[in-house]
Amino acid sequence: MKTARPVVAGIDAGGTMTDTILVDEFGTFTIGKAATTPQLESIGFLESAIEASDYRGIAIEDMFASVEVVLYTGTGMLNVLLSRSGRNIGLITNKGIEDMVLMGRGLQSWGDYSYADRLHAVTHHHPPPLVTRRNTHGVTGRMDHMGDEIIPLYEHEVEQAVNTLLDKEVEVICICFLFSQVNPSHEILAEGIARTILTRREAKTELLSSHQVRPVIREQSRLNSLLIEAYATGGGRKQLKSIEKVARENGYRYGVQTLQSFGGLTSINHPNLHETMVSGPIGGVLGARYISQIIENDSLVVSDLGGTSFDMGIISKGQIRIDQEPLIGRFKLNLPLIAMDTIGAGAGMHVKVDPLTKKVSLGPESAGSEPGPICFDKGNLVPTICDCNAILGRLNPDYFLGGKVKLNVDLAYEKFKETCADVLEVDNVYDVAEGMINMLDSEAGVALRRMLSAQGIHPSEYTLLSYGGSGPLHLGGYSRGIGFKDIITFQFAAAFSAFGCTTADFQKRFSRSVHLDIPLEAPFMELQETVLTINSIWGDLKSRALEQMVSEGHTADQIGFQPFLLMRYTGQLEDVEVYSPIDTINSVNELNRVIETFRNIYKNINRSVSDYGQTSVSVMEMGMIASVEKIKPRLKKSKLGKSKPEERAYKGLREVYFNSKWEKTQLWEMDEILPGNEIRGPAIIEHPATTLVIHPGDEVFMNEWSMLHYRHQE
Amino acid sequence: MTETNSMTAGLRKRLEESEVLLAETGCYDGITTLECRDMDPLKFETIHMKLRAGCVSAREIARRISASPGVREVGEMVAAIYTPEGDAIAISNGIMVHVHTMSRFIKWMIKNGYEHDPGINPGDIFANNDAFIGTVQVPDVMDVVPIFHEDELVGWAGAVCHELEAGGITPGGDVALAQERFGEGLFICAEKIGLNDKIRRDYVIRCERNLRMPIYWILDEQAKVAACFSMRDRVLELIEDVGVDFYKKISKEFIEEGRRTQLARVRQLTVPGTYRSNTFYGHVTKGKPGFQPLGDPDWLYSIPLKMDIKLDGKIVVDFEGAQPWGYHSMNCTPAGMDGGMFVTLTQHMNFEGLVNDGAWLATQLKLPRGTWTNPDSEFCATATSWALLLPAYGAFQRMLSRGFLARGFLEEVFVGQVNSPMIEMGGISQYGKPFGIAHFECAAAGSGALAIKDGLDTAYVGWNPESDMGNIEIWELDMPMVYLGRSILPNSGGAGKYRGGNAFMSTWVINKSPEVRIVTSEHSSRVFDNAGMCGGYPAPTCQKHRVVRNSNINQRAEQRKPLAHSTGLDQKDLEQFYQGNQQIIEGPHITAPMKEGDIFTHSYNGGGGYGDPLERDPVLILDDIIQGHSSQIHGERVHGIRFKGSMDDETLEIDFLQTQKTRKRLRSERLQGAVPVMKWFEAEKIKVKQGDFAPEVLKMYRAAMDLSEEFGREFRAFWQLENGFAYPEKEQKDINNE
Repeated sequence: MKTARPVVAGIDAGGTMTDTILVDEFGTFTIGKAATTPQLESIGFLESAIEASDYRGIAIEDMFASVEVVLYTGTGMLNVLLSRSGRNIGLITNKGIEDMVLMGRGLQSWGDYSYADRLHAVTHHHPPPLVTRRNTHGVTGRMDHMGDEIIPLYEHEVEQAVNTLLDKEVEVICICFLFSQVNPSHEILAEGIARTILTRREAKTELLSSHQVRPVIREQSRLNSLLIEAYATGGGRKQLKSIEKVARENGYRYGVQTLQSFGGLTSINHPNLHETMVSGPIGGVLGARYISQIIENDSLVVSDLGGTSFDMGIISKGQIRIDQEPLIGRFKLNLPLIAMDTIGAGAGMHVKVDPLTKKVSLGPESAGSEPGPICFDKGNLVPTICDCNAILGRLNPDYFLGGKVKLNVDLAYEKFKETCADVLEVDNVYDVAEGMINMLDSEAGVALRRMLSAQGIHPSEYTLLSYGGSGPLHLGGYSRGIGFKDIITFQFAAAFSAFGCTTADFQKRFSRSVHLDIPLEAPFMELQETVLTINSIWGDLKSRALEQMVSEGHTADQIGFQPFLLMRYTGQLEDVEVYSPIDTINSVNELNRVIETFRNIYKNINRSVSDYGQTSVSVMEMGMIASVEKIKPRLKKSKLGKSKPEERAYKGLREVYFNSKWEKTQLWEMDEILPGNEIRGPAIIEHPATTLVIHPGDEVFMNEWSMLHYRHQE
Repeated sequence: MTETNSMTAGLRKRLEESEVLLAETGCYDGITTLECRDMDPLKFETIHMKLRAGCVSAREIARRISASPGVREVGEMVAAIYTPEGDAIAISNGIMVHVHTMSRFIKWMIKNGYEHDPGINPGDIFANNDAFIGTVQVPDVMDVVPIFHEDELVGWAGAVCHELEAGGITPGGDVALAQERFGEGLFICAEKIGLNDKIRRDYVIRCERNLRMPIYWILDEQAKVAACFSMRDRVLELIEDVGVDFYKKISKEFIEEGRRTQLARVRQLTVPGTYRSNTFYGHVTKGKPGFQPLGDPDWLYSIPLKMDIKLDGKIVVDFEGAQPWGYHSMNCTPAGMDGGMFVTLTQHMNFEGLVNDGAWLATQLKLPRGTWTNPDSEFCATATSWALLLPAYGAFQRMLSRGFLARGFLEEVFVGQVNSPMIEMGGISQYGKPFGIAHFECAAAGSGALAIKDGLDTAYVGWNPESDMGNIEIWELDMPMVYLGRSILPNSGGAGKYRGGNAFMSTWVINKSPEVRIVTSEHSSRVFDNAGMCGGYPAPTCQKHRVVRNSNINQRAEQRKPLAHSTGLDQKDLEQFYQGNQQIIEGPHITAPMKEGDIFTHSYNGGGGYGDPLERDPVLILDDIIQGHSSQIHGERVHGIRFKGSMDDETLEIDFLQTQKTRKRLRSERLQGAVPVMKWFEAEKIKVKQGDFAPEVLKMYRAAMDLSEEFGREFRAFWQLENGFAYPEKEQKDINNE
């Protein structure tokens, strides 16, 4: 196998660890792992790639020279948003609606809550805004929804606002006016004025306008897309460029790819980087879709626990849930996104006890990989969940990252005792550490329940997939009592998102807002006109798609095109995405075929009674998806062997703290566990990149695809 | 046509039996033990969760189909599954108000012999928006479909949407001008609107010809029916899994479990005893066009509430002493009163899952006949009943909160909901066609404060905890008005240690229309219809509307002169910035149509405060001023804050030393101004005895004493008045409304 040529390198940089998965021409893969280096992600990228190449037994240069795709995703930008550590931004919007940044439609005060909390109004609260009210400036001017200017733009007010924001040294100036997606001329004018001032003042401040970032109706969502693009993606693009540079220096011949929120690969030069902001977690869902075909259960819940965040997603009956208007970090966006819920919870989170109130809290800060938890012994003295795991014996101090990082458990114990147990006046330090872990597990478990409940889904028909570097470590805790049909984790859990990304195809999605009403009994000539308009728009979009795909190294004959339309019955507010059954519409009859397709999809989704056949239909957006298929990894199937693991897998016993007592716990090497093996807890299965904790009484079984099934004690 | 159907034979008898069993055993349908739950508690929970999940996803289906911003944009709907007798087993999120109102609708059909005529058959669809049958107001249109398993009726699925246009005397849904039923719009009175899973064409035609914007209503109708079919499928799937007998048994146990949970929650969270509260609502219509000479032009309602929390946890709320119903649109039927109670309880104690009609069974409303809470004439209008419901249930929330406080659940204390006025409009749209719409941005008012934090700003209404004002860009698609501003209304929450949530104000200029009729409702501009708690102030009363007709906004814009985008802190911006016909209108805005270039403002309401304003953390006040939630002068006058620096150059800060001194002085002044209660009482007693009140106050007491002997007796006893004391009618009611 080692002679096979690697063709795809998928790299997923989490808040703590960067994972590389190398896929060869036969679809088999190897995994490398290194600490994420947030200051310069290319360092972690390269180290992780080197490790993966090492496992394959080839030099890094040979690997990069060989691969055709380098695919980089991560949660860096999302973490910036969640931890509110982004850039200092200013906003120019229509005078009179500046408070939109505080009001958040009202909806943002409860939008991602569970069924219970949505009703329990005392729990509602607004998320802190990304731009301060003081840095939000209104300027006079208004367009209406037909794109007509109702009030001209007051240019002197724009000048004043820009100068004030520059005086405050904002890093980005955002411009968002009502209905700029219909007529952007006010935004263009304001941008021109701002650019002139920037030049005059020799300011490096960046400018962003909403019609460029997200030209889609619903101003609150468009504004949020703009603000997030400004706030969280600035550093992200620099990082991606530096990664491409490192890859090329090491022999890579093409452009680095990243993943868009709807699941397609794209170049890192993608103009609106916030569309790739949640690409890492999405990789997990794509991977889960691939796994679902193997395990023959097309209803899955995915859970990804890393160092800083816990991400969850759902696949129901094979369909990946897409949010057209998702909430990201409690902000509403109008961005088609593979639906994921995220909370700030991870193994790198700080655990704290307030000396005054004795209130215990988890996060929201996290130690990251630098300096990392206390036990990494790199200078951090604030305890983390990872330190608690080390103190309780759940982590092997000599085998973290395969022994690359030696854990200083004594130091972790000493600092944890001093800052947590002693403050709480509890003598048994281990009980406090276990309590902290239980808090994290319960927070993640509640988040899972909340997501299921908000979607109206019952867990008994769903398989939970657990992955992420810390997924297997906490899986037993956070999945307990929810009642999933099955629970699965993987030997390569730590690189599952990267694995999932490599199952994606190259894709570009081009679309344009339109408003074409097609009356029920429209005259033939009018319909002919509509046919011409549709074909002309698709033609334009196809040329753009072709051009970009070819510029990224694909040949025209490889590219498949799928035209689509967002359609609704005229007057409705929600669209149905219709993949056109034909590439071009050549007659009114063919137009009717497309309309019929819409009606059928609409009926299927919404039931037949909802078909208001007497109403005309409207096309609100037209688009073209261009795809090129890419080689994918393959899981290896083996025969099931005996239930007892091989002797060589056994690593001895260690005292591990479970349920307030020390238990003699068996240790196993994950890579030596074979299909058919069963291990009963208390046990710990170790892997250089992850640790699977099996709680007392629980069991783990490896199936023929080398997936690990976790079974809770009845 | 009379149909007979063996599948529903005996339904009415079954309903009566169920009611007898409840009365005899105190338990729903006579279920004294929860056998299914005791046998397998996890399975019990799992099955209920599945039913509830069915309701939640049905609601999402409906939201996709709807054409109305009310449903799609701000979620004004709810879906639920019922027993054959019409008791709710499981419900979705959304406007929880309607869980028991739909129950009343189903029971009404059963009690009125629908099993015989018009018949209840598989595939039938029934609709209703008659509040005396079971809804709150005409725009709340509900659809239910029977669920049959083989040849047996095993339940109902129901959904309700709030319509934005109801075809009443004025455009919109909440027709404020209606003074009798006959002006409220299109009534569907427990009507069979569909057969064989299909909505009847003649019904659709009727809607098309009687509504200003039929697409909202008709697509919502389809949305609700699709939601009902989806829930019907879920129930039948579940029956396939667990068997029909088990389903019938467990579904009833859910309701009994819900009843017990409600009682347990009350026992856990409150202290038993009698709680009393009172709130008021005033309405000003004198001289406004369109009002018929039937009712009082300006009136004031007292809304007294007595809540008894029994030892077993049962809550009994008594409205004895409420005013008689009147010729206005704010009356409420018992169905609406149920709705208000239900939605309030779900927010405070039934939010965790087993929410169903069991909660309703664990409570009791005493609604004296002839009052606005239970009118004895079914001709009366209920189109804007929320005007009185919201203040009433706000007072109920404060009574509950006193219970939470007494029990130590500080974090549950919530000053609660307020009345917040609504705007509706119609006329000629920007597309040159007739239109009508209720603007539902009112679904995001301010909430009352909590005992541990400020109230929610622009994000709460009592009738739907999933508050949402919607996007400007969506609303503007459906109305010929362009926003000049939508901004936080500073100081609109009541002051306190924790302030009430602030509301917002919208300012529009009419665009591309020669005729827009703007109607607003639910105004209480002269009395507080909300209150604070524990020293917190009430939120201000409703703002007046400010209008500029024939404004010179276009000329000013051409000359790049500043424009007003709200009324400004001193309420004078429109006058200062624009020339034209300036109008300040108190109470509901019912005037001549407006046209392109005219400017209109409308404000929503904030919530009451909690705790002494002098105890508010000065840092929070500074933050409020910076964010625009509060004004500096408010901080100085109400909270005793002294500042240094200036807002203009961003140097404003608190002068802590001076603030401390000022607050000390203010406290001492309060003490100096205080009088013993008995001294105050004696002085007030003289006024009460002489009837030395504003005319509306005198009318209010007189009407309540005439209608309620008990109120009269208590009033006389409290004020130490002689037996038989009354306020005689002094003047003849002027039938010309002058």
